[in-house]
Amino acid sequence: MTESTAAPEAPPRAGRRKPRAPASSVDRRREDATDALGRRAVELSRFYAGKVETVPRVPVRSLADFALWYTPGVAEVSRAIHRDPELAFELTGRWNTVAIVTDGSRVLGLGDIGPAAALPVMEGKALLFKFLGGVDAVPVPIRVSSPDQLLSTVEAMAPAFGGINLEDIASPKCFGILEELTKRLDIPVWHDDQLGTAAATVAGLLNALALTDRTVRGIRTVLFGAGAANLATARLLLALGHDPRTLSLVDRDGILHAERDDVDELSVRNPWKYRLALKTNGGGRTGDFAAAIDGADVLIAASTPTPGSIRPEAVRAMARHPIVFALANPDPEIWPETARAAGAAIVATGRSDFPNQVNNSLVFPAVFRGVLDARARSIPDEVVLVAARALARGAERRGLSVHHILPTMEEPEVFPEVAAAVGDASVRLGIARHRLSHEEFLERAQRRMGRSAKLVRALARAGLTAPMPRGATGDRRAP
Amino acid sequence: MTADEPSPPEGAVSKAPIHLRPAKEKDIPTIVPLLLRLKRLNEEFDPLLKVRDDAEAQARQVLAQQIADPKAVVLAAEGIGPDIGKVVGFVRAIVRERPFYAPEHEGVILDIYLLPLYRRRGVGEYLLAETSSALKAKGAAVVTAEFPAQNEIASRFYAKRGFRPVTSIHARSL
Repeated sequence: MTESTAAPEAPPRAGRRKPRAPASSVDRRREDATDALGRRAVELSRFYAGKVETVPRVPVRSLADFALWYTPGVAEVSRAIHRDPELAFELTGRWNTVAIVTDGSRVLGLGDIGPAAALPVMEGKALLFKFLGGVDAVPVPIRVSSPDQLLSTVEAMAPAFGGINLEDIASPKCFGILEELTKRLDIPVWHDDQLGTAAATVAGLLNALALTDRTVRGIRTVLFGAGAANLATARLLLALGHDPRTLSLVDRDGILHAERDDVDELSVRNPWKYRLALKTNGGGRTGDFAAAIDGADVLIAASTPTPGSIRPEAVRAMARHPIVFALANPDPEIWPETARAAGAAIVATGRSDFPNQVNNSLVFPAVFRGVLDARARSIPDEVVLVAARALARGAERRGLSVHHILPTMEEPEVFPEVAAAVGDASVRLGIARHRLSHEEFLERAQRRMGRSAKLVRALARAGLTAPMPRGATGDRRAP
Repeated sequence: MTADEPSPPEGAVSKAPIHLRPAKEKDIPTIVPLLLRLKRLNEEFDPLLKVRDDAEAQARQVLAQQIADPKAVVLAAEGIGPDIGKVVGFVRAIVRERPFYAPEHEGVILDIYLLPLYRRRGVGEYLLAETSSALKAKGAAVVTAEFPAQNEIASRFYAKRGFRPVTSIHARSL
């Protein structure tokens, strides 16, 4: 599963990818493969008609049991929760249920395609939540006309959920929405396009720096693209002790700096970017990307997917042992082989078909497993950094190398460890309602994450999920 | 303000990392871009504040006129330390006569602008205090400030310093 990891400042126009300059045969093959996957996905979506469904957690021996699961017995359960609302986390599935909320304003690289069209993506996310995190996630694309309406809608539905995962909401409104919901709700709120991507990026970067004998404190970093992901990455890097003066953000208008022409405009439209404009780029570098990249140790590109938007010359202009993260999806800003040929010591992308995939699926299932088991009230940046560090440590298990700075999806043993680290951090920060020990968090995470894989296998064995049909499915439907 | 070397009022404001002085003709090329930044910021608040294509030429002309005008106050804020000599902000104000109201002379702050890095360090306070005394020296007995109605930061800035809304200007396109 390659999720979109890049969040450009302005979304590309909705619809098909734009035609581009003559591509190499490799590029064309990659594009053909992507198109084939798309056709197959449509076919299978028609066959299965939805990726998740509700499955009972309780036995139903006969209809008489509904006197317990439903009325009259259930009334006493309601009364108990009415007396003590916190009991909702004990007596219902709220403890493990997350809403995946989107307004469809920036879906993958497709742009503003609206909530209905966002549903297949949210269903896929729900499947990942369940399969990897053991989390019951409900896709909730909503039609809203303003951030305020989104806020009040999510606030209104919060009683049903143990956490909120915001997804595919356009930048910069996503920042204010996350901040405000975190303030208003006493359950964890997460915006995956910011935090998931930023945490995975930071995890990979920590290992890349370790491999090249550097630390966050001494490096010069260029962030190319100033959308949701990179603004969050900048914030996390600063929290890790990155010198703001040696951190530069670059967007389509060049280096972001305190005296750029649009900086007052940003103070109104995008205060998050404005604050970084004032804080970063202390050398007062001005000009374009080339001016920023000269001598940089690290380049993290999370921009509009345009292959070739980073030229090999840029990598050659970097310091010794350059680290290059090209995270645009599906097509990275520079192909890994091109970056390496230009001298990059370590390259990461957002794709699963190259080494070092910066993938938010490495992060969000484990983070939610951790905060749900701790019944945390929020997910502060400290917790995000703990998750990033745990993920970085997880990659060490199978040995760090320039081709292995992050665990792959094939290293599921890492996920419970990240979840337990998140649980521990929630306890330490005093935001956990459930103050479990590390061993308890780890054991719960392993059990709950493991249960999902078992469930999927059991459903398949019992013939309750139809086997994946081969080839064209025509008008057939899964039973 | 009467001298080239204004003494900052007492209190924390004297820590402001700038040096304020009356603007001179030679400052016009450095003040114009700052004035245009302010006008473009205003444009964010209302489409009826759209900056004209010839705003730059207009700015030069207006500044030249007002720097020479004894009824106007144009101050240049210079950086200190490493930024010494660099104009990092400005104030533009005029004394306006009020034919029907007392007090008769009103000092109107038309523009206050500081580059972002110089904000939130007591500089605005200092600018306002210096501008007020310069306007008072020119006969104003009341000081007012004009800014876009939607600019909440400006509203809060002035409200905190004892300003209250007196006149509203409402607009619609024709």
